[in-house]
Amino acid sequence: MDEFQEILQDFLVESFELIEQLDQDLVELESRPEDLELLNGIFRVAHTVKGASSFLNFDVLTHLTHHMEDVLNKARHGDLIIDANIMDVILESIDLMKELLVTIRDTSADAGVDVVECVLKLDKISGGDGNVEIPISVAPVVVEEISAQEELDYDNMSDEDVEAEIERLLAERQTQDKAKRAAKIAAGESVPEAPPEPSEADEKPKEVAPKAPTPVPTASLRAKAEDAKAAAPTSRTPAAVEQTIRVDVKRLDHLMNLIGELVLAKNRLIKINDDVEERYEGEEFLEELNQVVSIVSLVTTDLQIAVMKTRMLPIGKVFNKFPRMIRDLTRELNKKMELELAGEDTELDKSIVEEIGDPLVHIIRNSCDHGIEMPAVRLAAGKSETGTITLKAYNEGNAIVIQIDDDGKGLDAEMLKAKSIEKGIITEKEADLMSDKEAFALIFAPGFSTAAAVTSVSGRGVGMDVVKTNIEKLNGIIDIESALGKGTSLKLKIPLTLAIIQALLVGVQEEHYAIPLASVLETVRISKDEIFSVENRSVLRLRDEVLSLVHIGDIFEVERILDSSEHVYVVVLGLGSSKIGLIVDSLVGQEEIVIKSMGAYLAGIEGIAGATIRGDGGVTLIVDVAALMHMAKGVKATALVDEGSSTTKEKTKASDYTVMIVDDSKTDRMIMRKSLEPLGVTLVEASDGQEALAILKQGDHHFDAMLVDIEMPRMDGYSLATEIKKYNRYKNLPLIAVTSRTGKSDRMRGVESGMVEYITKPYSADYLSSVVQRNVNFKSEFLS
Amino acid sequence: MSDKLKEIINKQKKKDSLSISHLDEVVQLVGFIIGEEEYAVPILTIQEIIKPISWTRVPQTPAYILGVFNLRGSVIPLIDLRVKFGLKAKKHNEETRFFVLKQGNEVAGFVIDRLTMALRLKKGDIGAAPDSVAGDDSKIDGVGKQDGRILTILKVKKLLERDF
Repeated sequence: MDEFQEILQDFLVESFELIEQLDQDLVELESRPEDLELLNGIFRVAHTVKGASSFLNFDVLTHLTHHMEDVLNKARHGDLIIDANIMDVILESIDLMKELLVTIRDTSADAGVDVVECVLKLDKISGGDGNVEIPISVAPVVVEEISAQEELDYDNMSDEDVEAEIERLLAERQTQDKAKRAAKIAAGESVPEAPPEPSEADEKPKEVAPKAPTPVPTASLRAKAEDAKAAAPTSRTPAAVEQTIRVDVKRLDHLMNLIGELVLAKNRLIKINDDVEERYEGEEFLEELNQVVSIVSLVTTDLQIAVMKTRMLPIGKVFNKFPRMIRDLTRELNKKMELELAGEDTELDKSIVEEIGDPLVHIIRNSCDHGIEMPAVRLAAGKSETGTITLKAYNEGNAIVIQIDDDGKGLDAEMLKAKSIEKGIITEKEADLMSDKEAFALIFAPGFSTAAAVTSVSGRGVGMDVVKTNIEKLNGIIDIESALGKGTSLKLKIPLTLAIIQALLVGVQEEHYAIPLASVLETVRISKDEIFSVENRSVLRLRDEVLSLVHIGDIFEVERILDSSEHVYVVVLGLGSSKIGLIVDSLVGQEEIVIKSMGAYLAGIEGIAGATIRGDGGVTLIVDVAALMHMAKGVKATALVDEGSSTTKEKTKASDYTVMIVDDSKTDRMIMRKSLEPLGVTLVEASDGQEALAILKQGDHHFDAMLVDIEMPRMDGYSLATEIKKYNRYKNLPLIAVTSRTGKSDRMRGVESGMVEYITKPYSADYLSSVVQRNVNFKSEFLS
Repeated sequence: MSDKLKEIINKQKKKDSLSISHLDEVVQLVGFIIGEEEYAVPILTIQEIIKPISWTRVPQTPAYILGVFNLRGSVIPLIDLRVKFGLKAKKHNEETRFFVLKQGNEVAGFVIDRLTMALRLKKGDIGAAPDSVAGDDSKIDGVGKQDGRILTILKVKKLLERDF
């Protein structure tokens, strides 16, 4: 039973792969009905499936494929020309085949799908009494061709049939011998255990050539190779089989997770290396350490790329289903359309390939329905009757771009605006402010549809909305360009992978956030005067565009404790089709980050996509750009400069005054304490700058003045003063220098760093007391 | 086999089953202080107890969620039990600890004021939660008594449940 399941699995995987290829081949076949290579390839698929399914006792499937095989065999021998009507039947049978395979996958049996009607149609075609059949006109070369049904009459068979039969028997024998590999061998005729193959392969082209002349004579020489390719898409030539191995995706995911951890460890190592470098400058061992760190970092990067590559799939896997779709749409919509594919070999992470299919279906349907005009209209406009849709994929930096072009009627910005106003998606005022590009982006708005009538193809107003959501989920960017009457071009830019990303680290106050670099269009440094306010929203004129701005602090509820400088940085974010400027206090740099979930407890926090661990071991949150853009709409502009809320309470007694004494010498602190104690004020001591800063930050006390020594370990008085002045709250806190430095330059530095008074040691207790009293506005009634 | 030997084996068997049932009745807990009260959680739900380390604030969360911290490569939420229990937040000091509790796949760190001790309580010494706070929604599993002390035993599952 287990063995049967295993065979079944192999059979299903292979069949689905084959069918994927089949769809494309069949559509191509319709335009080139005489192409023998294609026909052979298609025939082989039907044949392979038939062989394997009969072995596995799927009678319905065998029955269906058998009849398909008949029709195809006839076509292959030139008895039949495939026209659109026949193709419809063949495609229908392939759909049924798919349906059957799905049923088999789900239930391990092929019951429940009605194939009788289709089989009858197929039979009619191959039987020759149906009116759909058209006898071939270029058939004189068909030598002693006996009806395809007589496959078992070896003597009278053509070489091709013999080959097919040998192949079939071979397949059957092999399946019985090595059941597990049954399906594979039937398709991949290049498997070494099939000895008769090579000679067959050599003979065949010569035999074929005179029999069924193809439009391109040289094509037949390549027939064999092409056959092999069609039947087993992974192997390029029969001689050199690519060695592949099927791996469970879970294992790859796990591997990717491990690499993620390694990347974090690498970041950390680099950070430690930098610290060590600073501390032990010029030491000999540093060079060695440097070397090791760079090797580790290099290898980690390579390893990451290598593992990423194992997860990559060619985008052709997704593209393959579109020729068929276009063909169906052509008939459904009565338009003439052609699809051109390019860059199918471009590779993408598996998870992205899975996500990208749906959006592309919607976009292409949309292009067909709304973009391409009816043939008559096209002719009138001086265009060729057949509309062309181009689907192209290529790499650009760390991203992949999928471009969908059509040469249809293009988007009409004014019409889009009018429609949107009518549907209440935008207001007239908004419409006036909109650029053409922004207007184009309206097609992605939920509830929007430009089609006058809803067709089965599109116009329900959900499709393009889905496109936007899905692309945003992948951190992708959508760019639309369109010229009225000439066509529309849509570009989807999607990052290559999702697990490890490049991020821009930004700082706001004392916090850091990571923004996926894929969403960052540019960064600009502006002065605050350049920010304008329009209807309660901040905006920035950036070149010829008006960009709405939002402060990251407003979105993430960051307390403004640090004073903001005259200049701010704006990170221009682009996602899907929208843009926004995010104001941050500082740009920290670019780093490779690994997205970690914050667990179920904190899942789904708006605006946060996850967290990452930085080189210093701290956690940095990753911005969810899509959510941020959404949140930005609800955020009102806040004044950039918060006037420090002075919550100075009324002083009712002497001990309400609090003074901090910062000095590294215990004796000095004692002297100051002794001088000030008579006043009755509360005194807090710190032994150096850092400690003082820590006490300030804790906010346990509200200080009225600080006495600061200049020469202190860890952080001296000047740096302390500079640091303190960065905080809005302490801007007006009087700092009094108490020092034995008496030089003029020292005094100057004191003033520069924000000291208000300069007391030189030694001093009298009364003098210190009076200076403090003056600076804290000590009320005389508290003096005893 | 002599009767004596049998007797001894039987005796041992009895003892074994006795000690098993004895073990069954004892619950091992770790006690800690939040505000004025002593609380306890089953020892097996504790992944580890660490000294305070730095954490990162997470926006758009209730006040009792301090943020997230890095525990050997995992990002773990940090919850201040003081605030959660309606007390005022307090500066972390020498005695503050992070309790990392785990149940199933859920892990979170909880800030507590002070650790007391690991203790064994007989099942019989644990009373049900007072009626007013009992029920499925309650965070209290029961009330333990030992040497005149009263411990509130918390439901770790409830603590790890997101409630905002």
